Amino acid sequence: MAGFKETLKDAVRQLSFRTSLDSLRKKGVQQVNVLGLDRITALIEAAVHRSLKSRLVGVEREAIADATKAEFLRMLRTNEDLQRQKSEVEEQRERAEDEVDQLRRELTQQNQALQLRLEQDALGLANRYEGENAAIARKVTEVVQSLAQSGSASLSTVEQRLMELVLDVVSGERQSAEAARRTLHDREVDNLQRRIKKLNDNLVVTEQRLQLVAAQKNVDGGISSVYREVQGVAGGDGQGEKKKELMSGIFQANLKLQKKAQGGA
Amino acid sequence: MSETKETGEGQKKDHGVLYIGMDLGTSRTSVSASNGVRETVYSMVGYPKDVVSHKLLKKDVLFGKEALEKRLSLKLYKPLEKGVLKFTGDATMDAEAKANLKAATDLIGEAVRLAKPRKDELVYCVIGAPAEASVKNREAIIEAARAHVDSVMLCSEPFSVAYGLDWLEDVLVIDIGAGTTDMCRMHGTMPEEADQVMFDTAGDAVDAELSRRITETCKGAQFTIHMVKDIKERYGFVGEAAERCIVELPVDGKPTPFDLTDAIRAACSILIDPIVKGIHKLVATFDPEFQNRLKNRVLLAGGGSMVKGLDSAVEKAMKERLGSGKVIRIEEPIYGGANGALKIAHDMPADFWEQLK
Repeated sequence: MAGFKETLKDAVRQLSFRTSLDSLRKKGVQQVNVLGLDRITALIEAAVHRSLKSRLVGVEREAIADATKAEFLRMLRTNEDLQRQKSEVEEQRERAEDEVDQLRRELTQQNQALQLRLEQDALGLANRYEGENAAIARKVTEVVQSLAQSGSASLSTVEQRLMELVLDVVSGERQSAEAARRTLHDREVDNLQRRIKKLNDNLVVTEQRLQLVAAQKNVDGGISSVYREVQGVAGGDGQGEKKKELMSGIFQANLKLQKKAQGGA
Repeated sequence: MSETKETGEGQKKDHGVLYIGMDLGTSRTSVSASNGVRETVYSMVGYPKDVVSHKLLKKDVLFGKEALEKRLSLKLYKPLEKGVLKFTGDATMDAEAKANLKAATDLIGEAVRLAKPRKDELVYCVIGAPAEASVKNREAIIEAARAHVDSVMLCSEPFSVAYGLDWLEDVLVIDIGAGTTDMCRMHGTMPEEADQVMFDTAGDAVDAELSRRITETCKGAQFTIHMVKDIKERYGFVGEAAERCIVELPVDGKPTPFDLTDAIRAACSILIDPIVKGIHKLVATFDPEFQNRLKNRVLLAGGGSMVKGLDSAVEKAMKERLGSGKVIRIEEPIYGGANGALKIAHDMPADFWEQLK
């Protein structure tokens, strides 16, 4: 019986809320009536007994009172378990939401970095061409002026011919250089796009996991590689040439194997 | 291509390409990665048997030691046997073969996860496979790995061990795994079929022999093959015993001490003869001018090389049969293959990786 009273006290304590005198004063409360825990629990017990007494008699009443107490304790425990589970799930949900936020931030940063890089490249290219053209024009002018000073040919004819000649040569050089630059640039952009795609895929997976947050306990961001780009045999390696041959051999064998597998599929 | 950024803690983080070297073995799968992570996991995969065990374990799949410990609640798979996937490549394969293939895929995924790749990094992986694995089996490993990495290549396991140590010429590598012992001679070019020997006298065969001997000599002793494996890994030796191997095994429920010294020595000694025969074959068919050099550059690798005294015993047998020999045990038998595969991954040019994306 004493144990039950203690449990009842705990229940009342849990259902109550704490507040300060200041906050009560702010709400306009000047006086409070104090009712002790012991008194409240006694009142609850008395009320239950009185209610049972008015409807039941003898042994039946005692049995029902015991059953009610047992049921009360069970419900109390269930309630505690539910509270604990709820707080755990909420904690896990918060962690998963943090991860999603972090992924979103990283995705945005990657996109911004890519955009910035593309813009910088476009601007840099335009500036370089402008400078090169000016230099070419200056050189041609210098040549034409020197020809004019010699006085042997029509100035405009010579200037036009020289201009055509030089721009033709420069245009060819420019095309080949541009093609090389584009190849390098495409690879870089391709890698960034693939990494962004991986981030996107991960974002989708993480959002799905959010639905099953109870199973998600620890979030591990991984450890970064020490390499920021693809390596290859080091230039100063004494066995460099031999290693390159071996790498080529391994690659050819794998290429053959994977092509065959794709063909089979 | 990549960028460096400052985290909240002020710690620098690099993002880019994570290389992984993987030794996909019958008993253990080891990974070495370019972020400094090195991990090993028993090549075992378990799936909850029913709804009750699933609820109890709270996981869809368990790996390695955890799977072994909870095996009574699991459908346990060892997806590799004798160094290769338990998978025939046959389109009409049965449910068991399909389950083994799934287990292998999940195991590779777990090994990659153990390497802790960042979510935005490209993962390039080289996997060491037995020298004589079939084409179908290699294709199956590639397919299983593709689900978890961005680009993958296979290479011969003993070759990767030698490459990892920069021993590329006139060296003979012996990789003693659980399912098979692979031997390969290196002569500065890609090893061909004639440069490689494989046989199945390896760790599992030692376990079976030790198990047979315990049954014969320890009357009433109760044990499992996993207990035998643990005994071998702790006490395994050949030659002179440094100490008696006293092991407690239950007899009718009561732990009882048994002296397993002779049984362990005899079981581990079954490795020596086939290894020396293999060395003999590879040396005898090598360029005569370099045979002596090859005999004096024999590398012992793999989990089986941890048997105490094996290097000396092989050396002794070589002297008897081949006149001379020098055997060197590599420093890290468990990670030798993975370290070599990582080095290959690192040295592989960018173009090659790109083409295999």
